[in-house]
Amino acid sequence: MFKRNTIKKMVLGIAMAATLGMTANVAVAEIKDELRDPYLASFKGKKVAFLPIAMGFDLTEGWAEGIRAAADKYGFEFIIRDPNWNTNAGTQALTSLIAEKPDIIVVHNPDVQSYARLLKKAEKAGINIIQVNMKSSYSTNVYVGADWVEMGEAGANEMVKRCGEGSGTSGKVAIIQGVLTGAASVYQIEGVMNVLDKHPEIKIVANQAADWDASKAKAVAQTVLQQHPDLCAIFGFWDVMTLGAGAAVKEAGMQGKVAVLTNGGGNQMACENVKSGVFDKVWSYDVPGQARDMVDMIKVLFQSDSKPGDMRVALYTPLKVISKENYDPSICWSLKK
Amino acid sequence: MASSNAFMRARYKYFPDHLVGELLSKRWMESAVPTVILVAVFLYLVGTLPNYLTPVNLMDMGRLYAEFGLVVLAMALVMIGGGVDLSIGSMFALCNVAMLSLINMLGWPLWVAIPSVLVFGAALGAINGFLIGYLKLRAFLTTLVTLIIYRALFDIVLQNFAVEISGGFLDSEVWDFIGDGDVFGVPSSLIAFLIVAIGGHLVISRTRPGWHVMAIGGARRSAYNAGVAVNRTIFMTYVVSGILTALSAIFFAARLGSAGSDVGVGMEVGVLTAAVLGGISLGGGRGSVAKATMGSAIVLLITNGMLRMGMEGGSSSVALGVILLIAVGIDVKWLKNRHKIISKVYVSPAYLDLPSAPSAEENSGTPYEVNNRLKTVTAIGLGKLEGPEDVILDHNDNLFTGTRHGDIMKFSGPNFEKQEVFAHIGGHPLGMAFDPDGNLLVCVGGMGLYGIKPGGEVYRLTDQTNRTWYSVNDDSRLRLADDLDITPDGEVYFSEATIRYEMHSWSLDSLEGRGNGRIICYDLNTGKTRTVIRNLLFPNGICTSFDGMSILFAQSWNCSISRYWIDGPKRGQVEPVIPNLPGYPDNINRASDGNYWLALVGMRTPTFDLALKMPGFRRRMARRVAPDEWLFPNINSGCVLKFNEAGEILDVLWDLGGENHPMITSMREHKGHLYLGGISNNRVGRYKLENADPDWVGIDTYWGKPK
Amino acid sequence: MAVQRSDQNSVAGSRIKQFIKSLNAAWFTQERIVFAIAFILFAAFSVSLNGFFSVDNLINLMRNVSVLGILGIGMAIVVIGRGIDLSMIAVMAVSSAWTLQLMQNGHSLGLALLGGLVCALSIGVINGLLIAFVEIPALFATLATGIFLYGVGKSTLLDLDVIYLPENLGWFEEIGKGRIGPVPMAIILCGVAMLAAYLFLSKTRFGRFIYGTGDNPLAARITGIPVRVIITAQYTLASFIGFFAGIIVSTAVSAMNTRIFHSTMIYDVILVVVLGGIGLSGGKGSIRNVIVGTLLIGTLLNGMTIMDMQYTMQNLIKSLILLGAIILDSFLHPRNEETAQQGDI
Repeated sequence: MFKRNTIKKMVLGIAMAATLGMTANVAVAEIKDELRDPYLASFKGKKVAFLPIAMGFDLTEGWAEGIRAAADKYGFEFIIRDPNWNTNAGTQALTSLIAEKPDIIVVHNPDVQSYARLLKKAEKAGINIIQVNMKSSYSTNVYVGADWVEMGEAGANEMVKRCGEGSGTSGKVAIIQGVLTGAASVYQIEGVMNVLDKHPEIKIVANQAADWDASKAKAVAQTVLQQHPDLCAIFGFWDVMTLGAGAAVKEAGMQGKVAVLTNGGGNQMACENVKSGVFDKVWSYDVPGQARDMVDMIKVLFQSDSKPGDMRVALYTPLKVISKENYDPSICWSLKK
Repeated sequence: MASSNAFMRARYKYFPDHLVGELLSKRWMESAVPTVILVAVFLYLVGTLPNYLTPVNLMDMGRLYAEFGLVVLAMALVMIGGGVDLSIGSMFALCNVAMLSLINMLGWPLWVAIPSVLVFGAALGAINGFLIGYLKLRAFLTTLVTLIIYRALFDIVLQNFAVEISGGFLDSEVWDFIGDGDVFGVPSSLIAFLIVAIGGHLVISRTRPGWHVMAIGGARRSAYNAGVAVNRTIFMTYVVSGILTALSAIFFAARLGSAGSDVGVGMEVGVLTAAVLGGISLGGGRGSVAKATMGSAIVLLITNGMLRMGMEGGSSSVALGVILLIAVGIDVKWLKNRHKIISKVYVSPAYLDLPSAPSAEENSGTPYEVNNRLKTVTAIGLGKLEGPEDVILDHNDNLFTGTRHGDIMKFSGPNFEKQEVFAHIGGHPLGMAFDPDGNLLVCVGGMGLYGIKPGGEVYRLTDQTNRTWYSVNDDSRLRLADDLDITPDGEVYFSEATIRYEMHSWSLDSLEGRGNGRIICYDLNTGKTRTVIRNLLFPNGICTSFDGMSILFAQSWNCSISRYWIDGPKRGQVEPVIPNLPGYPDNINRASDGNYWLALVGMRTPTFDLALKMPGFRRRMARRVAPDEWLFPNINSGCVLKFNEAGEILDVLWDLGGENHPMITSMREHKGHLYLGGISNNRVGRYKLENADPDWVGIDTYWGKPK
Repeated sequence: MAVQRSDQNSVAGSRIKQFIKSLNAAWFTQERIVFAIAFILFAAFSVSLNGFFSVDNLINLMRNVSVLGILGIGMAIVVIGRGIDLSMIAVMAVSSAWTLQLMQNGHSLGLALLGGLVCALSIGVINGLLIAFVEIPALFATLATGIFLYGVGKSTLLDLDVIYLPENLGWFEEIGKGRIGPVPMAIILCGVAMLAAYLFLSKTRFGRFIYGTGDNPLAARITGIPVRVIITAQYTLASFIGFFAGIIVSTAVSAMNTRIFHSTMIYDVILVVVLGGIGLSGGKGSIRNVIVGTLLIGTLLNGMTIMDMQYTMQNLIKSLILLGAIILDSFLHPRNEETAQQGDI
């Protein structure tokens, strides 16, 4: 990462030197990039706030890193409010952010409802809202994140492939959701059902919430495995949480027999666990890519001077698949730190 | 030397040493530490966070505060009653989800749904209350288990209905008002909180159920023995706790409409912290609504402030942990040591320079020379009396005197053999006088000025005067009314010896040498009380002069008699009569020959006179030496003096052996005899006066002979 | 013949009487009640549940509660000394996570273990100092140090919420994953810890002093027991046990999730201890009580798992049974205004 950055800077430097040289040499021509100055000026004095569910895990750290890099480069202010997995603290933080009036708030909703009213209020106060990965029931200007319905369908299709007709398995699958009212759970289960409704041979023997918590996922998986030793697959809605389920499978000595499917930000951890066989397949929504999408949207909002409610844009992240077959450590990313 | 002396004099005159002890002994000083923290945190936040004092922000904070504060009040109530309720976080979550499902899923109207949720909260609390109040389970363990039970119920409900519950969105103006509305800028929930807080304060501090809760928390067994319905009261504290939690959850539901799975998780920690930080003790008996509101304000400001300062989740935990520890640590030490500090610093000596005492030795040539004339005193009620400070006799030769037990005793018969309780007052009766209607007016230590009708019926004249606006100690209450006399106009002048010490510790005042006493006037005609002279050094005996134009009063610690003009050209002035006595003067009374009797309760010693010039010495003594070893003025042996209007000493009566009447605090002449009282004696003495008018009755010089 | 018979009758009769007499309330200690409930549940599950009474399952049962049991030992020591330690979970999570973090940062196993141990012990000592010398109520001191340690861990010591165990650590991994014969290491370590704690509490002078301190701190002080030192030591010991449990957990699942601090695990630990019959008022109880409490919870959880109850429903039933146990105890040992201690919550 460090290297890449220096290279970037060098390229930039060369480019700038070149342009400077050009203007010096061909002063008469007066050809100038008209967009560049307003582009750079649009960042001045601007402020972006980021309100994740919590800091300290791959997704939010990755996003924050991406935005911070842009902030450092273009010189806008970037602040983070960390409610540390506490929805109530999150609402407090959002409330106070509205009072502080940054230009943009990047919000990572803990569930579809909690922030809805406050987001409405924020828009009324003229603050642009970018929602990340977890949508609120109230839609704002921009959504950047995974297409959860697609994600659910992908997982379900994989389960059908592995456990469906002709697979010779019991057809039993377990689904471990996150926080039930979180967007990632609500829309993902919708996608899963879209597919499984057409495949009655797949039996969902457990469909439980583990609140994004690995230890709860482990407890749920243990229960299911004890009751259904012939389980075919477990589909967990987030890799960090599903790791608990994977551990339970490993402890029960059923690795290889029970497929563990999940999705996540594509952190190094996911690759390692695919390699070691804890996960059988991981769909990654590539956090650095999402971070770039966010920065792009921030740029758009700054330059277009658009007011809240002017547009309804969704940038669904393209998915990457990580499995033993296509395993390549470079698919994954890791934090600098 | 002289300059340093002057400096010392000024330093002790103007520097208010005594305020330290008085401030510390204030009840509200218990909350001093939390208050300081609250103010400091608030000022810091105002200083660092942008837009903190804007109305919008304050309103938002108000909403958060109201929700949190209601739950803290719930916890506080339970804690004051000696319990603890760890399950409130789970109750909160259940009530929140109940409210949302009633309106979003079942579509109930608000006026049905809100009371239902309150009842639901009460029911949850009632389960706790039943288990702890009636089945007598341990509060900590029981609510720990109900915490898990309620949380499990909540999880089950959420698992099945979460999406439906948070899917709906009630569109109602009332609901919006509850969640987001305000009245003149005050958020709706804050109004509700204030109503509950004020109501709660009144209930806890002013009503029987509130006192019962305090009593149970303070001493459960005593409360039970006193007949308090312990079980039911404890039960009710949990029910009320449930209702308050439900109320808070309703506001939360209205504000956010969120049925997140983490609602209320860990809430008990914050709430418990707030309660303890505010000064509500674990184990019960100590606490108030004000303390709960303060504690919740501190915790909310800190947690919210750290969130807003953009602190990482981890750092804010560190800060919270450290603040919690420091605050509780200081508070624990403070509560433990406050009384120690008070007992060390309350006595605050001042500088007092008395002229050297006239001698009372034999052949010294002073009018005070000792003799042994009181050898012939006979005792009345020997062994049947304790602490007759003053004595008085009426026309029918009945003798009245007070006792330590709070009674006025009446002795009658030719030799005062018949003894009966004339009236029971309760406090220690000190100075006495008859008013024109024959009522006996009495100064009662610790109570005030009282009257007794001839039939023995006690009535109160006054027990308070106007409060000085700058006083720290409440000086409106009468602590130590000492002696009194009545003017022809019907004004009762009475002395209050000190406003800094209670009846039982009056002798400590002698160590201070500061003017802590005052003379107060009660008007029998108007019933009004006013303070006449302040800053006197233990004003004691009071006697109206024969012409009714002035009153004479004694100040014990500076050993002087002064005159206060109440009429005539010098009205309102104070002038010295006897500036320097060899002992500490007590009561003054009229004598049959137009002069005055004065009791000296004890004699001065050079050591103590010297000590009075060394306040630093006395301060060190009071701090470092055990009270039993302190240097006190001698109040064991004294004498009776007679002086005239000009202040000349005419006669002196001593009891050399100290056997008959060792300590004299008062004397009353009646029909040729002198009756002697002493505050630590077990008798009244009777001394035959030679050359005295055998028919002279003291009251007649006031109100004339009865017709 | 007839005479003999009546003799027998009377002997039998008096024995029955004796037995009934012995069945008075004092016999039913909470420990025995809980043990009886655990036994009844165990028997019922064995009969009715397929696959409950098998070696594999019983080992599974014990393995699942072994960490709870180990934490229970630490809590028991503190509770016997009339305290409570709410920081145990934080110590367990952060100190062991820091050990993993140190290894991830490239330090040696020994240094990493030392780092984690120092971290755990220092919190224990701080707890002890705050409680014994500053005289802050234990509930608060440990609550605050728990929050504090979690915060320090999150903000400075650790990179992320979840720290993973590096691979190829040899014997170290065996702590959580290994087996001796069919028995998992975790169970053996739990057993060893319990035995050590039992010997410590009942056979050593120091252990007896803890009882004395817990029973009546003032009297203990007058007797000459260094009460403050004892209190500090007991919290340090609890923290050490927390670290020990953390190492087992992290090696078992190859990771340590510090968010476990936010779970209700600490309440489970307290329940194990108190349910087993160790009173919060101190001075009473032994490691036996911890074993009984742990077995009840373990049997319950395992049985319900086999019955395929939902995770949430399990919590509900578990807590209802716990409630039942304390209610039963209150009927057998009624507390009234005469026996209730002031300030005993």
